Amino acid sequence: MKKTIYIFNDGQLKRKGNTLYFESEEQKKYLPVEDVGELMVFGEVSLNKKFLEFASQKEIIIHYFSYYGYYMGSFYPREHLNSGHMILKQAEHYLDEEERIRIARQFVSGAARNIRQVLRYYNNRVGGISETLNRVDEVIMSLDDCHDISRLMAAEGNIRDRYYRVFDIITRNPDFPFEERSRRPPRNHLNTLISFGNSLMYTIVLSEIYRTHLDPRIGYLHATNFRRFSLNLDLAEIFKPIIVDRVIFSVLGKKMITVNDFEEEGEGIMMKDRARKTFVQELDAKLKTTIKHKGIGRPVSYRRIIRLELYKLEKHLIGEKFYEPFIAQW
Amino acid sequence: MFVILVYDVNVKRVVKVLKTSRKYLHWVQNSVLEGEISKANFHKLKAELRSIINDEEDSVIIYVFRSLQYSSREIMGIEKGGQDIFL
Repeated sequence: MKKTIYIFNDGQLKRKGNTLYFESEEQKKYLPVEDVGELMVFGEVSLNKKFLEFASQKEIIIHYFSYYGYYMGSFYPREHLNSGHMILKQAEHYLDEEERIRIARQFVSGAARNIRQVLRYYNNRVGGISETLNRVDEVIMSLDDCHDISRLMAAEGNIRDRYYRVFDIITRNPDFPFEERSRRPPRNHLNTLISFGNSLMYTIVLSEIYRTHLDPRIGYLHATNFRRFSLNLDLAEIFKPIIVDRVIFSVLGKKMITVNDFEEEGEGIMMKDRARKTFVQELDAKLKTTIKHKGIGRPVSYRRIIRLELYKLEKHLIGEKFYEPFIAQW
Repeated sequence: MFVILVYDVNVKRVVKVLKTSRKYLHWVQNSVLEGEISKANFHKLKAELRSIINDEEDSVIIYVFRSLQYSSREIMGIEKGGQDIFL
């Protein structure tokens, strides 16, 4: 599988010798263009049109993040997998209220059931979560009765709210209390980690969508609007608990990131570069981890599972097979 | 699969071989590159190299591994190049 390259240093990206070349004060490095799938840019990097042309030709997506680590946007190269048929089907399922809810419900149910798996694991390990677990189960049962998007969203918010409230029990790290979910800017350390992890997850799903026929602008749970991509937000819901949150628990559990890795910035809390690198490293390793896939019968990486999820959605849209979300088994 | 490519070619063609290999593999040190590569790209790389080198004078050796299990990589002295997902 092609690699994701994370650029934290400041420098210049160039096309040189028909491959990618990164030059900064400390290093000069060639990157094998055929082995790069996407670039995540955190540093101040300059590049020119010639470079973008080359990236486009080689189907490399470039995601960029602001100084504060917030997702800013992507260079989404010219579509290389064109399918008018798929776009029509995607829009058709969006416009038909009934169909849209059916898909959106699968996303919420996938997210909720994966949250449940995480809770169940930690209930066995540290205990004290069974009440939350029961409540989550009740909400999952009630999902079938949600017949409009706003009720579905409310149910999802409800689950997530309860889920976040037991983070303190799970992390058992008094330096990182959850308090409440705050965004833009996140007001405590744990929220900063959650926000950072989630925004990485959105870009990863977006990169995978680029490799399918789906159009990232048409989402089902998240309304399609004038602002940005939304299908990646939908899919990311399913994977956030089992990928991002588990990485958070792991870096906090192993004390790989401590409160000293943060600094205050205006109203919010911001991660220092070292913490970002550590987090990204762990997340990247997680995505490469392989697990035995029930349906396929051989080991596949988490990253591949995201792609398979998109293929399942494609099959649903063309009416081949009803979409059911991926649920972690452990 | 994972490959290690080493070359010893006439100085006239060194740059060409290096540039071609660098599109697919990570430079490790002089005349040595390594990296994960797909079967298709492996064939492309070999085809490109074949059209550059002179069979009478040059030598390119590629070690192919199905996976890196049961292998380890040890470095003595300084690390000159290699693979890194962070820049």
